[in-house]
Amino acid sequence: MINITKFSYEPGEHEAEKASNSYLMSLIALIAGLPLPIINLIATLIFYLGNRKGTYFVRWHCTQALLSQLSMLFINSFGFWWTLSILFTEEITTSKYIAYIIAAIVFNLAEFIATIYTAIQTRKGIHVEWWFYGNLTNLICKSK
Amino acid sequence: MVVLWQSDKFNLQIKMMGKTIIQGLITIALFFLTWFALTQIDWITVFRVQKATEKTEEKLGNLFWNIFQKTEKENKSQFVVSSVDSIVTKICNANNIDRKFIKVHILDKEEVNAFALPNGHLVVYSGLIKNSDNPEEFSGVICHEIAHIQLNHVMKKLVKEIGLSVLISMTTSKGGSETIREAAKMLSSSAFDRNLEKEADIKAVDYLVKAKINPEPFANFLFKLSAGDNEATKYLTWISTHPDSRERAEYIIEYSKDKKTKFEAVMTIDTWDKLKEKL
Repeated sequence: MINITKFSYEPGEHEAEKASNSYLMSLIALIAGLPLPIINLIATLIFYLGNRKGTYFVRWHCTQALLSQLSMLFINSFGFWWTLSILFTEEITTSKYIAYIIAAIVFNLAEFIATIYTAIQTRKGIHVEWWFYGNLTNLICKSK
Repeated sequence: MVVLWQSDKFNLQIKMMGKTIIQGLITIALFFLTWFALTQIDWITVFRVQKATEKTEEKLGNLFWNIFQKTEKENKSQFVVSSVDSIVTKICNANNIDRKFIKVHILDKEEVNAFALPNGHLVVYSGLIKNSDNPEEFSGVICHEIAHIQLNHVMKKLVKEIGLSVLISMTTSKGGSETIREAAKMLSSSAFDRNLEKEADIKAVDYLVKAKINPEPFANFLFKLSAGDNEATKYLTWISTHPDSRERAEYIIEYSKDKKTKFEAVMTIDTWDKLKEKL
């Protein structure tokens, strides 16, 4: 699921710090804005926009962090609105709903752990590519 | 040479795109598979959601009933209670409804009204009995309210109108008494939405037919009151809160058309007259 590969060049200390921060940003936002899934996406997006003119290594990791947030947004938003409809409309709690919430928690947790791990590794200048998101980032993010 | 190099790069790009799409699809499938696998477990039982819901409903039912008990006068006459009970028991037995769950309360009030509260509390105003021409008409309204209880319309309406979070807070000591009073008023004086009302009407006809009670008087009751030729028009809470009485009467007649069965009297004319006298 997580693949450590060699980046096209050796990133410098400053680059590694910035790249690592993109993951930390999404983690902090995730904790702060837990009930509203859009918040961590916005935080990561702001960080991405701020660094889109950065070096390739920084841009690459900002993109991977952003993309991973984007897919969690779909899962979390659906769960969020489903919960609201149970609380405020005639919708009732079903096994299907509880199963969805558990699945969402499992995926969020996996993403959370992967983000922490990647933040630590990138801080050391190690290039970490995630399953699917790594490839997607390679397609989107190009070295100039 | 340059052209070849570019096409190689293009092929690589296509290959990578294909790989990414497959990985993306696998990720999505993995999520749905996890969800599907988890739905195989009956979480409602595991987390005792049902039990918690029942407890909330029980508490709410008692809270609301206490409000009516405090503000209105309950008719506890042995004859009145047992007469109404006999009708409810007959309907419940014929339809496999847990009789103990339905708690009938008769209040001395001129309004033509009957309504259901959470946890099977069924409140009947004496005005309804007085303005019913025969026990079949009255049974129709009772069946309609029992249908609301059995189809869980009461809790659905409460959750829709005031929200689950407020309902749960009501059952704790912090629940505001004003909110409880407002909710109780809403339950007694406003109808359910159109679809739920129709569902309850149709279910009521089924209950009546199974209990061998003619559903026609129930439709007549609606016709009569919608026409406004009854002396109780000014107290028509049940009708004014249940819109389109004429339309309801029509579809009740339409639905009961093919349900020809041998009907029996709910109670003797003497008992019915005596019941009205006692009120």
